[in-house]
Amino acid sequence: MIKTINHTLVGAALACAMTLAGQSATAEGYPDRTITIVVPYGAGGTTDVSARQIAQMAEAKLGTSIVVENRPGGSGTNAMRAVAEAAPDGYTLIASTSSPTFVTPALRPVGYDTLTDFIPLLNYSGPYHGVVVPGDSPLNSFDDLLATASGGKTLTYGTAGAMGGAHLAFAAMAGETGAALQHVPFEGSAAATAAVLGHHVDIALVPAYRDLVQDGQLKILAVLDGTRDPDFPDAPTLKDTGHDQEFPSIVGLFAPAGTDPAIVAKLSDTFTEVAASTEFKDFMTKLNQPVRLMSGEELAATIAENLETYRAVAAQMGLSK
Amino acid sequence: MIFDAFLALFDIWVVLAMLVGIVIGVIIGAIPGLGPSMAIALLIPVAFSMAPIAAMLLLLGVYQGAIFGGSISAILLNVPGTPSAAATALDGFPMAQKGEAGRALRIALFASVFGNVFSCLVLLALAEPLASVALDFGPAEMAVLILFALLVIVLLGGDSKLDALIMVLVGVCAGVVGLDPIDGSPRFTFGSFDMESGFALVPVLIGLFALSEVLMQAAAPRRNDTAEMAELRPSTLGWAEMWRMRVTLAISSAIGTFIGILPGIGSTIPAFMSYGLARSRSANPAAFGQGTDEGVAAPEAANNAVTGGALVPMLSLGIPGDAVTAVILGAFMLHGLAPGPFLFRNHGTEVYAIIEALLLASIPTILIGLGLFKVAVHVIRIQPRHLFPVIAIMAVFGAFSVNNSLFDVWVMLGAGVLGFVLRRAGFPLPPLLIGLILGGALEQAMRQALLTSGGRLGIFVGSPIAIGFVALSVLFTLGVLVLPLIRKGRA
Repeated sequence: MIKTINHTLVGAALACAMTLAGQSATAEGYPDRTITIVVPYGAGGTTDVSARQIAQMAEAKLGTSIVVENRPGGSGTNAMRAVAEAAPDGYTLIASTSSPTFVTPALRPVGYDTLTDFIPLLNYSGPYHGVVVPGDSPLNSFDDLLATASGGKTLTYGTAGAMGGAHLAFAAMAGETGAALQHVPFEGSAAATAAVLGHHVDIALVPAYRDLVQDGQLKILAVLDGTRDPDFPDAPTLKDTGHDQEFPSIVGLFAPAGTDPAIVAKLSDTFTEVAASTEFKDFMTKLNQPVRLMSGEELAATIAENLETYRAVAAQMGLSK
Repeated sequence: MIFDAFLALFDIWVVLAMLVGIVIGVIIGAIPGLGPSMAIALLIPVAFSMAPIAAMLLLLGVYQGAIFGGSISAILLNVPGTPSAAATALDGFPMAQKGEAGRALRIALFASVFGNVFSCLVLLALAEPLASVALDFGPAEMAVLILFALLVIVLLGGDSKLDALIMVLVGVCAGVVGLDPIDGSPRFTFGSFDMESGFALVPVLIGLFALSEVLMQAAAPRRNDTAEMAELRPSTLGWAEMWRMRVTLAISSAIGTFIGILPGIGSTIPAFMSYGLARSRSANPAAFGQGTDEGVAAPEAANNAVTGGALVPMLSLGIPGDAVTAVILGAFMLHGLAPGPFLFRNHGTEVYAIIEALLLASIPTILIGLGLFKVAVHVIRIQPRHLFPVIAIMAVFGAFSVNNSLFDVWVMLGAGVLGFVLRRAGFPLPPLLIGLILGGALEQAMRQALLTSGGRLGIFVGSPIAIGFVALSVLFTLGVLVLPLIRKGRA
């Protein structure tokens, strides 16, 4: 059902694009050589592995080979900057996430503007970030957490790093409620998870918590995303608990701005079809990652909205430059 | 279950995967700049299409092979292939210069295998209890542990403690460049986006050790090459000689395994710590740095023991200890073996098969190693005018390939010139590397600890582990600094 709607939408978009752009010379015969998908993180991580899978599945449909190239560094901003400057011919794409698309750009100059330098093709994943506490923690719900932190006790929360989306969303929430929540950044979400398991921090805001929660080593009090994690439907979103904050986790494909609309339509059509397949879903389930489909337009709107939110959060915290 | 696992190994594809993995790993490890994480990442698509046990052994074989491979170039050329092999070069290269390259390589090989077997046995027996020990190491405990490691390396590492201290501080200062680990603001980046990530470890390593070696050779007075070439003496290494080093091997392996369990420190630090401890325990510490057996064995046992240690938190908690295990974790998940609390329960046979195979991998490692040495020792017969230009070119490629970044090449060249100047001035380079690795980690751990304690310093003596390491550090410093004075006073 969803698939057909997507097809109709994309088809309509394609038709519009064709009439707007007219007969484009570059779109004809596209693709006739290897497409490169840049991954802004190291090889072997979840972003990399899922990008490799979607690339491999799209190869047959596009009739060309797709190479995945890792350009780690600068929390993903190095790769974004490189792709923003790449030729907009549809042969260089980037698989990017929340941090370099709307979190870091809201905090400091990064050398690109996500909204004007990129065309989002689709969103296909995004790990849920949970608010987790140790299994033997006295905190049993998000309201408990806030009540304790507002009652004279400072609670510490660990995240995957300074100025990440999870940190900012939680800090904004703490600022609104006046709860005493102290941030402690770690080097990556694995280290933050270890810290909460060892009771060195009271709370952690991390993805990949499923097995540890099911085993009882961790408890999940809430999720930072806009929607609930289907694995833990009882854990509310921050919005459900009455706080207008969220950290939407995205993983999507982007083309440099200026790419021919016909090529954009072809790419988003193909990759959406692949991402909606059961084969891709099975693969992502193994990887402990959700499949979350969004069209390029929806993704652009999400990014635009969050860039603004995070700029406001940063300004409030006195961080932005 | 352990026996079922053993039977699962008798499969031609499993054996083949392990052999191929080890060979690839040794070769990749020997080339400066091509680390195990890159090799493993490239092999993941291949591994995905294989059966789970064979796939994991391919990747783990590369991991183990690469750590050992790094020491081949360290011993033969004084160019460590991986950061952890920098400690092996301290005594391995002088030994090779004396014409005993074959002996140094054999010691490295057997010590590696010892370290590996030791850590795998620990993993097999104690994975779950040790994982909870890892969790007891919070920021405060990590901070005092890192301080202790720095003290061991500075106080025991070499001849001049002042030289070592100065170099550690240079390394720490270099580590300050980049984004602040706590509040994320740029430090000393001069507005450059490239500098936000700081100086990456591998380009600095290649520059400091490989390029500076090339520059040293280029600046050395021209000599009559063939005449000065060391005679290749047939290597002799008996079991008795390895047996004499049993305590050193056991202590070094224990250090490697233990540090491996703790996330984020890696294999370089335990290698240098073991070297320092072996030197301090030795009856003849002056022989260290001149090519002594234990100076090669200690770091090799330690850096290979890290493998088994790093797998402890990865398998039982799903928390990878370093970059390489993080990549291997991804591969486990792709095969439906999600590391974490349910792994041993749901996939016990596969996991035990993998650990047992890691143990048994020692046999092919020794065979492949001995075979490879026959060829590798001839590297030192290559004329310097042929060899060093090749190393210079490899250094540029190696630095570039880490992040596909030209900035890293400049970092490598800068580190090379700095390394050359410092070596000519007589400063030791390993403490600089240690400072770069541990400086940032120490800062982060200290600041995290102070954030969790609300700024109270008491947290650094707030747990038995922390108190233990603080006490060790104090005793250690007093021991090293005061004992010689007392002896002098008496004399």
